[in-house]
Amino acid sequence: MALRDNAIVAYAEAKHEMRSGRDVWDYAGEILDALLERSGLERAEIDGVIFTPSATGAKTPMWSQSCLDYLGLETNFTDTTDLGGCSATGGIARAAAALDAGYCETIVLINADTPSTEDNLIMRSFHHEWADPEGLLGPPGAFGLLSRRYDHLYGLDLNALGKMAVAQRDHAVLNPNAVEKLRQPITVEDYINSRMIADPLRLLDCVMMCDGGNGFVMMSRKRAKEKGYSRFVVPTGYGERTNYKLSQNDLEPTESGHRAAGEKAFKQAGITPRDVGSFHPYDDFLIAMMIQLEMLGFCKPGQGAAFINETNLHFDGDLPLNTSGGQISAGQAGLAGGGTNLVEAVRQLFEEGGERQVKNIANALVTGIGWIPYGRNWGSSTALVLTPDA
Amino acid sequence: MSKPANDTLSVPRDPIRHANFSMPFWEGTREKKVMVQYCPRTKQYQWFPRPVSLFTARRDLEWREVSGNGTIFSYTIANVGNGPFRGHEPYLIALVRLDEGVNIMANIVKCDLDEIAIGMKVVPFWAPLPDGTNLLMFQPAA
Repeated sequence: MALRDNAIVAYAEAKHEMRSGRDVWDYAGEILDALLERSGLERAEIDGVIFTPSATGAKTPMWSQSCLDYLGLETNFTDTTDLGGCSATGGIARAAAALDAGYCETIVLINADTPSTEDNLIMRSFHHEWADPEGLLGPPGAFGLLSRRYDHLYGLDLNALGKMAVAQRDHAVLNPNAVEKLRQPITVEDYINSRMIADPLRLLDCVMMCDGGNGFVMMSRKRAKEKGYSRFVVPTGYGERTNYKLSQNDLEPTESGHRAAGEKAFKQAGITPRDVGSFHPYDDFLIAMMIQLEMLGFCKPGQGAAFINETNLHFDGDLPLNTSGGQISAGQAGLAGGGTNLVEAVRQLFEEGGERQVKNIANALVTGIGWIPYGRNWGSSTALVLTPDA
Repeated sequence: MSKPANDTLSVPRDPIRHANFSMPFWEGTREKKVMVQYCPRTKQYQWFPRPVSLFTARRDLEWREVSGNGTIFSYTIANVGNGPFRGHEPYLIALVRLDEGVNIMANIVKCDLDEIAIGMKVVPFWAPLPDGTNLLMFQPAA
């Protein structure tokens, strides 16, 4: 048994909403119901569940059991993947491992969070002693430091960053699940003229928190075939790296673990960056996507802007980028947010992209970014290659 | 036009809860000494304080006093501050590369917004805290 012996047979996504007023478990329930409807499975067949953590549930230990109680599920395997923005992609790998090990046969992954309605996130981390006294504004502050260093090393090309913002916004206009107020086109000038938050980081560099949920059903590929699923998606390559070169004092914050995670995922999937059909990178900030292009090997370090400038990033272009708008333009559903990039990749490979369907469905590359460490880029990097069942 | 950054000295910072293994640093700040953890096995400094060496994961760490001299490695102008920093913008946050090779995140004071630059030499500036310790900030070297 291996990663590619497993299949994603169904997916679901709730509409992203700002301050929905809904409980986090209402989203989880909506996703579970939709997954049963889509998969045709009975509740009794589900014997495994993996959750992403939740900003709403952040004060709650035993989060998985707490969720399961509300959902009324009885399981043989239950877990929460605690990897921040890598939790959704990391969950797919962990689900495959649990299926391979025989811990469960049918596993659902439920990613739900409502930080714009109820945010209970309190960090017990270095921030209290070493960043809060300096007034660092969380992730935007850290990405301001990172962006300035990138500018020093390579130069910041605002037109290239803006081009990604515009492409993703165009995709959000075509995505009925995007936060409604973000479904308005923007221009590169809008991006450049947006106000400074953590100079040189601008407002339109950043994600906006919303409420939302998404989820998946996985089982072995063999079982998926036996059950007669005509279409499913197979994870064919996965890489994960936490604390890339952490103990190297002179590491540049423009270097990320996606270098290692990407290499592993591409090798396992047997593809190269040139073969990627659509790209769904975790997008907490625009520059994070540019650095991922460099670290994953689409281009050399420092060449991200040149690559972006010569590539059509629209859903019908050379390298479709976050075709649902990504988190920056569809909204960041807190710690479930990594699922926004993931669910769109799965949707595209099911050829259910509707008005924004990509042409090349040979595969899709999804990534995760989780945790913002001290003076670096990000703590965890994941890369997941998905392929439709051949 | 040149505009000074807010030095944030009037920001009513929340009290800082110190980890037991970072106390030598905070005790040093009472005498305006910059104390940094040092790994004798690999002959490297590490920042911020940790319970083990970043290089070996072993606990035979030493504390050494360093000059505190360094250069700006990167910086951001905080136009939006949270909590007690709200209303005190704009202020400067930098990563300062100490001569000993570690990066420390700190506020930069006595510096104009258009004066700060990567590579600029800085020296410590101590901001008194209510508990008698001092917060390590930096200012441009004379």
